[in-house]
Amino acid sequence: MKEKKQKNRHVYWNPYFGGFLLGILIILTFYFTGRGLGASGALKSGVVAIVHTVAPEHAENNAYYSKFIKEGESPLNSWLVYEAIGVLIGAFLSGAITGRLKLKVQHSPKITGKRRIIFALAGGTLFGLGAQIARGCTSGAALSGMSVLATGGFITMIAIFGTGYVFAYFFRKNWI
Amino acid sequence: MQEEIFISGRNIPNIDPVLQVWHFPISLYLFLGGMAAGIIFFASLFTIMRKEKDFPTTVKGAMLVAVIAISVGLVALMYDLTHMFYAWQLYTTIRLESPMSWGAWVLLIVSLLSFLWVFSYSNEMFPKWDWKFDFIKKFQAYVIENRRTIAMILLPLSVILGIYTGILLSAFNARPLWNNPILGPLFLTSGLSTGAAAIILFSKNHYEKHLMTKIDLALIILELGLIIHLLMGMAAGSAVQIEAMQVLVNGEFTVMFFVFVVILGLIFPAMLEGIELMGRKIPSIIPALLILMGGLIFRMVMVEAGQLTRYLY
Repeated sequence: MKEKKQKNRHVYWNPYFGGFLLGILIILTFYFTGRGLGASGALKSGVVAIVHTVAPEHAENNAYYSKFIKEGESPLNSWLVYEAIGVLIGAFLSGAITGRLKLKVQHSPKITGKRRIIFALAGGTLFGLGAQIARGCTSGAALSGMSVLATGGFITMIAIFGTGYVFAYFFRKNWI
Repeated sequence: MQEEIFISGRNIPNIDPVLQVWHFPISLYLFLGGMAAGIIFFASLFTIMRKEKDFPTTVKGAMLVAVIAISVGLVALMYDLTHMFYAWQLYTTIRLESPMSWGAWVLLIVSLLSFLWVFSYSNEMFPKWDWKFDFIKKFQAYVIENRRTIAMILLPLSVILGIYTGILLSAFNARPLWNNPILGPLFLTSGLSTGAAAIILFSKNHYEKHLMTKIDLALIILELGLIIHLLMGMAAGSAVQIEAMQVLVNGEFTVMFFVFVVILGLIFPAMLEGIELMGRKIPSIIPALLILMGGLIFRMVMVEAGQLTRYLY
């Protein structure tokens, strides 16, 4: 176990250095695009585009979807969608360069891969719902919000990580 | 009312001011034709170099793909014709100044010879298949003996076929985006690159895969250069060319062109191939499929965007 840990040590970057780079990236994002980063926005655009294609009437009458539909303009034509494509490309390249390109489910040895997937999906669904209620996720609301010193950004950050700490207690057996 | 359009005489439905006669089947045909030309080029090149043994997929499986691609492409082409049953009239004449005539004849010869080629390899590809009649077996033996001759005919013809898919568009002098000399070489390069990608996709031979990846990478870099050449040539042109270029650079097809063709269809797979050649393990299906997708979208963008561009009053 220890040997494996030692082997994997340099596969990932130091998280503090990564965070520093993320901060620099936000400055550049504001400079080039005039707005912050986002992660859940791309998924939302995808969902809106799909619903609008499959059931256009429903999407146009729906209070939520209709906000993102403009005549003659695809909801997918937004900077967050391109950013998400870029994130996928970058992640794939980084995996390729460091030789981590393998189809696998990462989980604690104490639980099965299936359990990990179910919990990840459930958590992701809740987070997606919450992100839309809060009008942004960790990157869209908390990170980008805090970088312009918006009160909402700080509240989101405290709420996400605060409740994270509280609820981690109940689900800790999934990891430790 | 649209008096200015009526008076200027530029209101011919589906033709002027905007052409609306070529649709997806044409893009599909140009893509499949280009890919087939690429595969046939490599297969005949390796056969002439007597390297068939080193490139088993190129000369066998990929050639079968090329024949299927040509057939599907021709069906798509016929399907898009308004007067389908007049198509045979192309074969009543040879006009050296007409790309359409070149294409029709070259395509006829190439598809016949490729059929023969696949027929000559049929027993190696499907060992259990038996041609039953003696005269077919004799004919097959004859074709196998003359395979290098076929390759020598196919090599130049495949290049013509690849260029023709681009020249066909650039012969339209009323559509400024198409009407430039780079389109022929650009489509040829793209066809060779997608052909190489198709070979990589089906190949199980390590040496073959490695060499085709190298070739493909070089072709992608060349293609990127040609795209820059195309855009810069248009930017340095007259107001008509500059206006036409806007469709790709700052208009309706910008996202399609730069995100799906240039980035996802060329730069990203090129990076993956580069990383692969550096010795990292990458499932080669990913760059290969991306290149094929990029090639198809490239044809779609060029066919659709070209029809929008026009001469100014």
